[in-house]
Amino acid sequence: MWKLLRKHISVGQFVGFSLANLIGLGIVIVALQFYSDVRPVFDDEDGFLKKDYLVITRKVSGAGALLGGTAAFDAEAIADLKSQPWVRSVGEFSTSSYAIYASVNVGGGRAMRTQFFFESLPSEYIDVSQDRWNYTPGGEIPVIMSKDYLSLYNFGYATSVGMPQISEGMAEMIPLMFTLTGNGRSESFSGRIVGFSNRLNTVIVPEEFMRWSNAEYGDGTSPAPARLIVEVNSPGDVRIGEYMDGHRYEVSGDKANSSKANYFLTIVVGIVVAVGVLISALSFFVLMLSIYLLLQKNVKKLKDLLLLGYSPSEVAAPYVRLVVAVNAAVLVLSVALMLLARLYYLPMLRAMGVEGASLWLSIGVGVLLLSLITVGNVLAIRRKVRSLW
Amino acid sequence: MDINKIEILNVIPAVFAGADLSASEIWASNVEFEAGKRYLISAESGTGKSSLCSYIYGYRRDYSGEIRIGGRNVRSLSVAEWCDIRRRGIAYLPQDMRLFGELTSLENVQLKNGLTGHKTRAQIEDMLAQVGLADKVHSLVSRMSIGQQQRVAIVRALCQPFKFLILDEPVSHLDETNNAVIATLVEQEARSQGAAVIATSVGNNVKLEADKEFKL
Repeated sequence: MWKLLRKHISVGQFVGFSLANLIGLGIVIVALQFYSDVRPVFDDEDGFLKKDYLVITRKVSGAGALLGGTAAFDAEAIADLKSQPWVRSVGEFSTSSYAIYASVNVGGGRAMRTQFFFESLPSEYIDVSQDRWNYTPGGEIPVIMSKDYLSLYNFGYATSVGMPQISEGMAEMIPLMFTLTGNGRSESFSGRIVGFSNRLNTVIVPEEFMRWSNAEYGDGTSPAPARLIVEVNSPGDVRIGEYMDGHRYEVSGDKANSSKANYFLTIVVGIVVAVGVLISALSFFVLMLSIYLLLQKNVKKLKDLLLLGYSPSEVAAPYVRLVVAVNAAVLVLSVALMLLARLYYLPMLRAMGVEGASLWLSIGVGVLLLSLITVGNVLAIRRKVRSLW
Repeated sequence: MDINKIEILNVIPAVFAGADLSASEIWASNVEFEAGKRYLISAESGTGKSSLCSYIYGYRRDYSGEIRIGGRNVRSLSVAEWCDIRRRGIAYLPQDMRLFGELTSLENVQLKNGLTGHKTRAQIEDMLAQVGLADKVHSLVSRMSIGQQQRVAIVRALCQPFKFLILDEPVSHLDETNNAVIATLVEQEARSQGAAVIATSVGNNVKLEADKEFKL
């Protein structure tokens, strides 16, 4: 039967359809994959800090600093903050009161060494599993670092001096050495980065380590906290912004800009996906037309086959198979296209510390879209053949 | 569906509505065809012979009255039931044969035979040989003469199980000898299946012993 029906198949038309659909579907899949891969770059989500925690500091004013004013929060300011209706709880950052040097062994006996500092937070504010965020005397010191430090290294330092860029995953594997000096003693501890945070613009160690080390090496004073962590009922509350401005407090890690960027990214990707879908829809009609044309040219043969006792679905089957095969090929090619594009941009994203997202969304949408197209094609073919009965 | 008879009940083609059909023994009358019998329908050109065939075979419905196959009004048959009838109930040779010119005679016959696997390839080749087409088995039908095509079409019609064989002018392009050959083959096949043969003609009748003759 295929020998009979293939006669009027136009290779040109099918190549045209396949190309058009490939472009459309390729755009959709690549855009969606890119979107899911890139999104984390702009995302406010922070693994270590819940959304309704704000980290606040005092604005440092030039005059205040010169006059010996302090950027710390005194007990009065903290009490006032606690009394606000939108505040659920307030936690204080404690600071190390001894000198710290951090060093990284870069191989060949060379080490990079820098002055360092620690801060700590009440552990209920930190969302890390206890087995990773736990200091046992003599063990490694777990550290959460600001993601900005990594970016600073990757894009500022490393590129200018020709050092390799490192991803978050790599950074977490680098063994660190901290030398703590104070009270006339100096001791070294090994440490490890357990993660990078978008919103904690500092270096955080577990509270119990901070308490122990301050007692051990500190000068005995406990300075007023320079940062507070505030749990609020709703981070979007306008009263928060008013209060912060009124008291000249700053909410650090405020990602208002990145959420705008995220918003625009979403819009742009939306437009691109819409264009892709539009192209796919048009190509759907191209295929539809060429199938109709093909069926039209074969009408007499199709009718004769029906007269022989072939059922309409049997007569439609070769065309259905053709369409399914073409569409399946298009799907495979566009997924290949996406993987290719990904090979291209993924290294750039890795440099920004973002690993690729899963492929399921884009492939799922691709499969869904092509299934819809295929179902549409098949139904149209069936209907057309049926109309010959 | 068990098809033992075909009834034509007061059928009038739409084009003949209002015309005087008293000369016809089929139109506007009640006629019954039974499995196992031989019927000849002779007609003058334009009296609706092919229309009758197409009404019975279910691809035209422009008539009033009722046609029943196996007791069922054909208008109520589903597509699936029609497919079954065309595969296993009624074999049909259209007047215009409806062969596929781009296929060989064997391929044409196999296209039909493949639906039921009624005959083996050897049997098909043997039948083609019987009607004098042994050397045309692999020839494209479009390169064959009308008379040869007619014989291919008859062989094709025989390659299925059937209770009724409707032959619309089966021998219009055949000589006496071939007419006899066809008649033998048809008779053989119909008898082995216990089937009826309904053959039409405009003068040149297939040489079958008719149980009944109708004038259309």
